Amino acid sequence: MSSSSLVDGRLSLTTPEGVRLLLTPAGPATRAWAWLIDFLVWLAAVWLLALILLGSKLGQGVYLVLLFVTYWGYPIICEVYFGGSTLGKRILGIEVLRADGLPVGWRESGLRNLLLVADFLPAMYFAGLLSMLYDSRSRRLGDIVAGTQVVYREKRAERSNIDATVAPLAPPFPLTPEQQRTLLDLFERERRLSPDRLEELGTLAEPLTGHTGAASLQRLRGIVAGLTQ
Amino acid sequence: MKQKQFEAEHGALWQDIQLILQGKAPESALQLPALYRRLCQCLALSGQRGYSPALTGYLQALVFDCHKHLYGAVAERPLTLRNWLLQEMPRQVRREWRLLTLALLAFWGVALALGWLVWVKPHWAYAFMSPQQLQDYQAMYQPGKMHIGRGGSESDVMMFGFYIWNNVSIGFRTFAAGIFGGIPALFSITFNGMHLGVVASWLSMDPATRETFSAFVITHASFEVTGLLLSGVAGMRLGLSLIAPGRMTRRHAIFAAARTMFPVIVGAAILTVLAAFVEAFWSANAGISAQVKYAVGAACWAVLIAFFALAGRAGR
Repeated sequence: MSSSSLVDGRLSLTTPEGVRLLLTPAGPATRAWAWLIDFLVWLAAVWLLALILLGSKLGQGVYLVLLFVTYWGYPIICEVYFGGSTLGKRILGIEVLRADGLPVGWRESGLRNLLLVADFLPAMYFAGLLSMLYDSRSRRLGDIVAGTQVVYREKRAERSNIDATVAPLAPPFPLTPEQQRTLLDLFERERRLSPDRLEELGTLAEPLTGHTGAASLQRLRGIVAGLTQ
Repeated sequence: MKQKQFEAEHGALWQDIQLILQGKAPESALQLPALYRRLCQCLALSGQRGYSPALTGYLQALVFDCHKHLYGAVAERPLTLRNWLLQEMPRQVRREWRLLTLALLAFWGVALALGWLVWVKPHWAYAFMSPQQLQDYQAMYQPGKMHIGRGGSESDVMMFGFYIWNNVSIGFRTFAAGIFGGIPALFSITFNGMHLGVVASWLSMDPATRETFSAFVITHASFEVTGLLLSGVAGMRLGLSLIAPGRMTRRHAIFAAARTMFPVIVGAAILTVLAAFVEAFWSANAGISAQVKYAVGAACWAVLIAFFALAGRAGR
C-alpha cells in the first residue's frame, strides 16, 4: 500500500489490483462537532441512568459500572459493530477506517479510543488538535498510534442518467478530454440546477454552439449525446 | 467505445456485484474475486477513456465496497482471545523485563523507602499527604468500622462500581499518558507507590489499624498492583518508541509498539476488574478471619507471579 497526496487533498491508496481508492480525510472542525454530539448523547444517557439508579446503594454501584462501560465502551463498540462511526460521526457523515482503507477491528478501535486521554491533554483536546493540524491526513495521536484515519463517507453515486433520446450532434471542433468531461458532468447534474442557471451556462458556451440561452443548451445536449452514444 | 455502449456491455456485471455485496446472491458469492478483477478493469478503462465523472464515481464507490468486503473479511479464530491472554500477554511482559523491573522499582522501591521513612520519622507523612487524608484513613480502618460503615451486600456493589470506574480508568490513563515520552506513566506508578508506602506505614504504627489494613489489602493488591504496573509498562514502551524509534520512523515505531502492547493493556484491565471484584466482595467481608485472608492473599500473589514467570513458555 503506497499513498500519495493528490492536489485535491484526497488520499489515494493503491490496492493489489492496481486501482486507487480515494479517501477524503475529515478535518478537526467536523470531528469536533461529531465529538460534541457524542458527548451530549453520553451526558443525556448518564443523566437518565442517574435518575433511574441513584436511589439505593445497589443502584449506585450499577450506575458506576454502567458509567465505566458507556464511557470507554460506547465509541469502541460503535466503531467495531456499526460501520466505523459513532452516532455523532454518522450524523456528520464521517467514519473511521484503518490506514489501508479497511474497517477497524477491536485492536485499532481500542487503542485509538484509549489514547483520547492523551489527545485531551493539557486541556480540551489541545494535543489532538496540534497533531491534526500538523499531520497531512489530519490524524490525532490516537489515530497515529492505532494506524487509523477518519474520512468522509462516500456518498452513494448514481449511475449516469443522461437523456438518451436526443439526436447526436458533432461538435464544430474537436473537444479535449477535459472539455468532454466538463460537458458530461454538466448534464449529469442537470436535475440539481435551476433552469435559469442552465440557460446562463448555455449562453456561456456560445463559442461552441453559436447560439445563446435555451437553443445553445439544446445543441449542447446533442453534442453530449454524440459523446456518449 | 462510447459510454452508453460501455455501460450496456458491463452493466450486468456491476449489477451482479451489487447483489453479491448486498448478500442477495449467495450462490455466486464465491465468484466475487474474479468479478472484482473485471470491475477494476472497468474502472481503469472508464478513467482512461474519460467517461463521465458520475460513471467513474459510481465504479469507484463499487470498487471501494468490494475492497472492504474482500479484504476486510476476518477468518474465524475461536481460540484467539484465550491464546492471546494466556500465552502472548505473559510472553510480551517477559520481553519487556527491563521496563517491568523499572516499574517494580518505582512502585515497591518508593513504597518501601517512604514506608521506612514514615516509620522512623512519622512527621514526614505530612509531607506527602494532608492531615485530613491521614485521619480519614485512620478512621476507615478502625476495627469493626468497616463492617458497620459498609452496611451489607448492597454497599459492596456500590464500592465495586466505584473501584471499576476509578481504578480501571487510572490504568487506562497511565497507559495513554505514557505516549508523552513514558515519563507520565512512570510518574503515575511512582505516585501510587508513594501513596501505598505512606498509608501502609502510617496505619501500621497504630496497633488498632495494623491488622485490619493489612488483612484488607493483601488479596486484591496482588491483582491491582500488577494491573497498574502492566499499564505503566505498556505506557512506557509507547513513550520510549517515540524517543528511541530504532531503525523505524517514529510513526511506525509507535504503531508497532502499540500493536504489541495491546494484549498487555487488555490483561491489565482484566486484572484491575478482578481486583475490584475481590476488593468489594472478599477483602471487605468482615466475616472472614484475618488468617484466612492472609493465606488466600499469599496464594493469589504466588499464582500471579508464577503466571507471569511461566505462562506461554511451553509450546513455542
